[in-house]
Amino acid sequence: MRNFFSITIICLTFLTVGVFLALANNLEHVAEQISNNMAAVFFLDKDTSEEQLKAVEEELERSPLVLETTFVSAEQAVDKFREKFPELQAIIENIKINPFPPSIETTFKEKSITFREASGLITRIKNMPGVEDVQFNQEWVDRVNSFSRLAKAVGFFLGGILVLASFFIISNVIKLNVFARKDEIEILRLVGATNTFIRVPFLLEGITLGVIGGLVSLFLLFLLINSIPIYLGSRLGVLNELINFRYLSFSQSITIVAEGGIIGFLGSLTSLTRFLKT
Amino acid sequence: MIELYHIWKQYQKAQWALSDITFRVDKGDFCFITGPSGSGKTTLLKILYRQIFPTEGQIVIDNRNILKISDQKIYQLRRHMGIVFQDFRLVFHKKVFENVAIVLQVLGVPRKEIRRRVFNSLRMVNLHNKMWEYPAHLSYGEQQRVAIARAVVNSPKIILADEPTGNLDTELAFEIMSLFKDINKKGATVLICTHDRELIRNFGQKILFLYKGKLLRKETL
Repeated sequence: MRNFFSITIICLTFLTVGVFLALANNLEHVAEQISNNMAAVFFLDKDTSEEQLKAVEEELERSPLVLETTFVSAEQAVDKFREKFPELQAIIENIKINPFPPSIETTFKEKSITFREASGLITRIKNMPGVEDVQFNQEWVDRVNSFSRLAKAVGFFLGGILVLASFFIISNVIKLNVFARKDEIEILRLVGATNTFIRVPFLLEGITLGVIGGLVSLFLLFLLINSIPIYLGSRLGVLNELINFRYLSFSQSITIVAEGGIIGFLGSLTSLTRFLKT
Repeated sequence: MIELYHIWKQYQKAQWALSDITFRVDKGDFCFITGPSGSGKTTLLKILYRQIFPTEGQIVIDNRNILKISDQKIYQLRRHMGIVFQDFRLVFHKKVFENVAIVLQVLGVPRKEIRRRVFNSLRMVNLHNKMWEYPAHLSYGEQQRVAIARAVVNSPKIILADEPTGNLDTELAFEIMSLFKDINKKGATVLICTHDRELIRNFGQKILFLYKGKLLRKETL
């Protein structure tokens, strides 16, 4: 019963850490996907003249930052949308007019270009006649990345508190186990057992509890992550296709199990000291 | 072998459990410590296997001041001792065999050898047929014999026994004493606390009389 209690606590601790780590992993992945398609899209007025369009394109091509530009007409934009989101075709049919403006898609030479670096060019183009708006996806990358950092920080903060809690709980559980066997320990001491001889079984017990707790938490996390698309899939709609729920990496999983073992080891080590005198 | 110099022990203020005890037990001695209940016999033995420290005085065992041994190294002293405790100190969730085997396990003796020596030791106290029973299923006298088997299984240099025949009938008590005597003949120094005069009369060689914590007299027969 006591052992079950400590395994549960360690398991909950690492489950919390694991949930936040998985969240951070997913956000990082999203940010990476966005940054792989680093681009700025300049939306044009529907009445933009050929000259205005040419001027914008020339201005963009003159910039040393730009790799290439592609003009996407309003019709091409609709086709693209239909192709990407076939299930939303009905909406387009219903509105009857084309809601998409023509645009110029610009890809940059540097993959990791920041908003600050590109801001001069973007502002210049934005102020040109015929340009209505600009969408630069680096802003999204930055936002998602900061969410990812926040998720990690919250995970480690909560995890830190819970790690401390589980350390004390393991320590006390082992203390109770040691106390229940204090006569045996005393006899061992009197017949000439070394402290190490007495300690090893308790330390192994602590490590085992910690490792089992860590493994169970990974298993629960696995179930949790696999159940999200099943239960939330239909509600997420389009997002479900964009977000691919990811499990913890191999090294993160190993770290969680190892930390469980370390907590168990330290917990039992501290609880044994006072029984090993005289 | 065992030398005590001016040993004083105080548990509570103004009450001396032991007062100025000085004596010497030579190698191969068979020695009795006797005296009425509360005379300090158990305290003296506890000091000898260093479960407690004396308030004052020094103890030398095998040319080593045992009060200077650190807690971490105290096992080195105890591995040369076989101790029979007044309350037996058996592990009740372990079988008789395991209780006796503990002593050899801590020394890292191979499993086969453990089996052989534990069996021989239990046969000496006539308990080999109850080897796989739990101590709780044994009588008081049988539990005491398990404690004795455990104390001698390692053929220690020193045997300290606190009332080892206290719950045994006279016949068995004599058998156990003969057993101690045999071990003594093989070279072990034996120190037994008892108030059984019959035993002392029959087996006594060196006798120390304690009364209210004081060593009244020493006799060598």
